[in-house]
Amino acid sequence: MLFNSLSFIVFLAIVLVLYYLKLLNWTNKKRMLLFVSYVFYGLWNPPLVILLWISTMVDWIAGNKLAKEENQKNRNLWLLLSMSINLGFLAFFKYGNFFLENFTAMVNSIDIYYHPQKMDIILPMGISFYTFQTMSYTIDMYNRKTQPAKTFLDFALYVTFFPQLVAGPIVRAGDLISQFYEEKRATINQFIWGLFLFTIGLFEKVVLADTLLSKTADDVFGAGKILNSLDSWIGTLAFSGQIFFDFAGYSTCAIGIALMLGMVLPDNFRYPYAALGFSDLWKRWHITLSSWLKDYLYIPLGGNRYGVTRMYAALMITMLLGGLWHGAAWTFVVWGGLHGTYLILERLQRQYLPFKITTKNGIFLAFLTFTCVNITWVFFRAREFSTAWNMIKSMFFINTTGEKILQSFDIIKVLTIISLMFLCHWFMRNTSLKEVSLKTSPWALGIIWAFMFLLIAIAQGSGEQFIYFQF
Amino acid sequence: MYLKQTLIIAFTLSVISLGAWEFYWRSQGFYPTIDDNKELWATQRVRVENATNKDVVLMGSSRVLFDIQLNEWENETGKRPIQLACVGSSPLPVFHDIVEKTNFTGTVLIGVTPGLFFSTTFPKAQPWEWPQSRVDYYHKRTYAQRLNHALSLPLQENFAFLSEDEGVDGLKLKELVGKIKVGERVPDPMPPFHEFGEIANDRNLKMKAITVTDTAYANSIKKVWMFFGKGAPPPDKKSTMAFFLTDLKKFKARGGKVILVRCPSSGGVRMGENIGLPRKDIYDDLVRQARVKAYHFEDYDQFKNLECPEWSHLSATDAQFFTTELVKIMIKDGAVTNYKTN
Repeated sequence: MLFNSLSFIVFLAIVLVLYYLKLLNWTNKKRMLLFVSYVFYGLWNPPLVILLWISTMVDWIAGNKLAKEENQKNRNLWLLLSMSINLGFLAFFKYGNFFLENFTAMVNSIDIYYHPQKMDIILPMGISFYTFQTMSYTIDMYNRKTQPAKTFLDFALYVTFFPQLVAGPIVRAGDLISQFYEEKRATINQFIWGLFLFTIGLFEKVVLADTLLSKTADDVFGAGKILNSLDSWIGTLAFSGQIFFDFAGYSTCAIGIALMLGMVLPDNFRYPYAALGFSDLWKRWHITLSSWLKDYLYIPLGGNRYGVTRMYAALMITMLLGGLWHGAAWTFVVWGGLHGTYLILERLQRQYLPFKITTKNGIFLAFLTFTCVNITWVFFRAREFSTAWNMIKSMFFINTTGEKILQSFDIIKVLTIISLMFLCHWFMRNTSLKEVSLKTSPWALGIIWAFMFLLIAIAQGSGEQFIYFQF
Repeated sequence: MYLKQTLIIAFTLSVISLGAWEFYWRSQGFYPTIDDNKELWATQRVRVENATNKDVVLMGSSRVLFDIQLNEWENETGKRPIQLACVGSSPLPVFHDIVEKTNFTGTVLIGVTPGLFFSTTFPKAQPWEWPQSRVDYYHKRTYAQRLNHALSLPLQENFAFLSEDEGVDGLKLKELVGKIKVGERVPDPMPPFHEFGEIANDRNLKMKAITVTDTAYANSIKKVWMFFGKGAPPPDKKSTMAFFLTDLKKFKARGGKVILVRCPSSGGVRMGENIGLPRKDIYDDLVRQARVKAYHFEDYDQFKNLECPEWSHLSATDAQFFTTELVKIMIKDGAVTNYKTN
């Protein structure tokens, strides 16, 4: 079920009524939330709920064993079992065909004739998100960093909680399970603020991403020909806006919906396009994934504890795998590799060419970071290297005879939206929506809210799937 | 923060502005319409799963949608057919799906619009890709998508601004923004295209009255047909014929019956069809090889002089006449059975 669909609006209304009626006690409310979370997921593809159940059962059992087991060898085995099953599902469902294609290419390159049929595998929606979430619980249990969930119901709800089930934020056990222990009710202000966040999220997704930016990005990346430099830049900028509004929109909806139920989910985006460099970017973009990768991949790989070379290697491996997490294609690996390279270059700059960031050079640095990020988006969005490479060559004037495909208004529209987005991120980078709202009059906020609602209604949307669902 | 006050202001302004928006478009002559989308098609496709050998399935391009009226058909035969025709489409992917993915043994009426029937078997070509995407959607649709459609229908039936129309008649934000032009950086040779049909829940489609009464409106659609006619590739008779005959053989072998119908066209469209796809070489050869009942509008006095307001489809009134007469002919011919009890 998608947040930007009529069925979800009805679903949410029913859930809220059941949640706030005094018919159910807290345990039964949690059971209800668990049941509706399975319905939320199952309405897309019922049999794949079984994967969720298996993941839940495995990590519940492994977590309990790890809580009691003192023998290190046995502890290692329980962790290995959980990781094998979780990563095994991920490897099969998400990377099965990718592995097969690459294996085929490899054996063909040494003249072994092997041409297997592509496997007809459905990618379970949000598998990367809930797998990482459940794994974090077991790994934290292994490292004795978190307490075991008090009941199976609390744990199952942690794995399946519908607002963040399919596209995050990826929540740590310690941050969410404990919220289920005592009855939660949103205050009136929390509820209204949650509703406001839900509207903002839908506005970002339906109006900005799907209505105003997606077509330009799709036209450019799907053109199948060498494009003019301006068209290539505009298509890339459109995609940079589309993916931000799409994903940040989902996260904002998730946070808003959870808040309407009295639960608090962590921020996932903090005005990332005003980041001053790439370390800053990854503290602002998909925060829950980058902190997951840092805690469960970068630090176990050695982090910065074993010298510079090892640190750079750990950084690059983390970013390459982070790229692969986004999709089973080499273009995503290159995207991760570029980010890894940027991070390494940034650390080298800090070491050998340090300079002080001021207000004057800050916006220039943010713009430079944003420009570099746009180059990485080309590899993220293009499905083939040939497309990405042609785009890059056009963007840097290496292709000089590219075709024009965009109308003048499309260019004006994208430049206006992206400029406003960049400026908005710049002015908001050290504050929050909540802080700004506190300083805004109810009339202004009400008018903005109504305007967003009107545009959502007019845009209608055809229930476009969120981009990050495929990851 | 005065959030209660904010909510009240937002709610009030939302209701007022949305009401004004709806009122404005109604004052501009727009009214609620249902979108002929994939889910609407799927709600009819699913009926084939339980259809008996007494049922009739219609497929083809927009001419079958416009020209075959379900009420008239039901009045004449006592059975309401299942409408699976798709605009701008070859019927071959849909027929292939019915042959391969169902056990249907009833009657399939296939509209033969020569330029589309013989267009292509290439999966990425538009006349193939459009209907195939509906077939694929039907087989993969989720429960959530079904629920969304069920919930959206009452809204579509009651609010004009929720129109899913595209192009010059589009009211969605994407369409409204798309109409804004600043110069012409890239030439766009496609003339503006008006929606000229309105569809019901069971996909019974009728031509809008304005197409008949407003010559300028009809002329704008004629320009689009001329645009497509000029850029149309030559027919791919060999592969389309082979593809169709393979499916036909399989369908006949299990007891299914196929009827071919060439619906009327007139004016420039008919002239173009006669030049590019002459009846003798195209349609007659299809009928000869298919060896099924076939009806060409030129062969019947009552249809010969039917005029299509925009050269390619019949007005609602003429479509009713065409359906009634065609069904009578087919009943007389034994191609279709009359199941009426009185």
